[in-house]
Amino acid sequence: MSAQLLTYMPLLLKAALVTIWLSWLALLIGAVGGTLIALARMSTFLPLRLLALLFTEFFRSIPILIVLFFVFFGMPLVFGIDLSPFTATTVALALHASSTMSEVIRAGLESVGKGQWEAARAAGMTYWQMMRHVIVPQALRVILPPSVGVYIATLKESSLASIIGYVELTKTGLLIRETMGSSFVPLLLLALIYFLINYGISLGGAALERRFHVNTRLMTAGAGQ
Amino acid sequence: MPYYFSFRSIYPYLGDLAAAAQATLLLSVLAIVLSVAIGSGVALMRRSDSRLLRFTGGLYVEVMRNTPLLVILYIVYFALPQLGLRMSPFNSALIGLTLNSAGYMAEIIRAGLVAVPPGQFEAAASQGFTRVQLYRHIVLPQVFRTIYAPLGNQFIAVILASSLASAVAVEEVASWMQTVGSSSFRFFETFVIAAVVYLVLCQIVNLGRIAIGRWLFRQPEAYR
Repeated sequence: MSAQLLTYMPLLLKAALVTIWLSWLALLIGAVGGTLIALARMSTFLPLRLLALLFTEFFRSIPILIVLFFVFFGMPLVFGIDLSPFTATTVALALHASSTMSEVIRAGLESVGKGQWEAARAAGMTYWQMMRHVIVPQALRVILPPSVGVYIATLKESSLASIIGYVELTKTGLLIRETMGSSFVPLLLLALIYFLINYGISLGGAALERRFHVNTRLMTAGAGQ
Repeated sequence: MPYYFSFRSIYPYLGDLAAAAQATLLLSVLAIVLSVAIGSGVALMRRSDSRLLRFTGGLYVEVMRNTPLLVILYIVYFALPQLGLRMSPFNSALIGLTLNSAGYMAEIIRAGLVAVPPGQFEAAASQGFTRVQLYRHIVLPQVFRTIYAPLGNQFIAVILASSLASAVAVEEVASWMQTVGSSSFRFFETFVIAAVVYLVLCQIVNLGRIAIGRWLFRQPEAYR
């Protein structure tokens, strides 16, 4: 039985790459969307702030699965937009990731002291110069470690693609289960592959956290705070 | 062809929705209660003197936090019957959801225990407190304060995660949306209704947590 399973290994590894690519893409779009929403949340224009708050609260309070159902089954009917399972999953995951990332990014931006924003302004920097040279380098230290957590969450959520029939890691495991006619070993192997990928990423995240922690301390020591 | 928004076409399915919402609620509440219990056990294991218990607890948490819930649900649903453990879809979803959530609960509770300074354990021991008295009067009140907010977020996470039970044939709100949507072609309306159900459930927990927290952790009269 395990010899038979061995023949499926290349298939599983290829599927693992699909899963990693799918979740990476969703995270990237989520990071861009999250940045825009975080900036909207911190805007001085009240309607924009409210809209951003509504977006975050909405996507944090409904399951990704029903968003996925809507994007995949509903969009073709309602808007006449036909999306492939891959695109539908990416959109659903990215919507959710952008609501989570917006909170992470907002926390990062707000962690930079008010004085820094004012000082940059007073030094005559434009908005982009201030962001590029003063705010973002400091905010990134706070943003990066939790982003690793968001990536792991997105990677796990990408398993939902199997429900709408997209062949990624979970679906591949289910298909192998059907061909082998045995559930235990293929599904356990599936869990193990996910575990190894995510545990590896979380170790990387922990290293990042340690490194930035040290840097943060040095930085504040230098600034005499 | 334009899409006409019409709730009327899904009136006939609203009876099923009530049953589905009940299933979602029951599944979530049971999973929350059970996973708090198991999570507390695992958190205590991780603080035990026995190396084996500590390792097992740590392994459990890491496995649950790094494996998709869907895969765990499939293992419980497909693989356990192969070992001779047959159960209803609802029960297998409950087991999967509980196992998964317990991993997160354990971490939350452990963080609460870690936040209690070690000196307090020693001080209580020196005052002749029994272990039960120590936890009842000194440790737990402080732990409760620390874990209160993250616990509320985990409750919401469980409600949202219960939607995956639809993948193992439990008829709850997400599966209601899917079945009704595909038989009536009214995916927009079913989406709106399902979203409202989840939004209401989650916001009840969220706002309830904030309101109860204000009342529980209000400042005593004398310090105001």
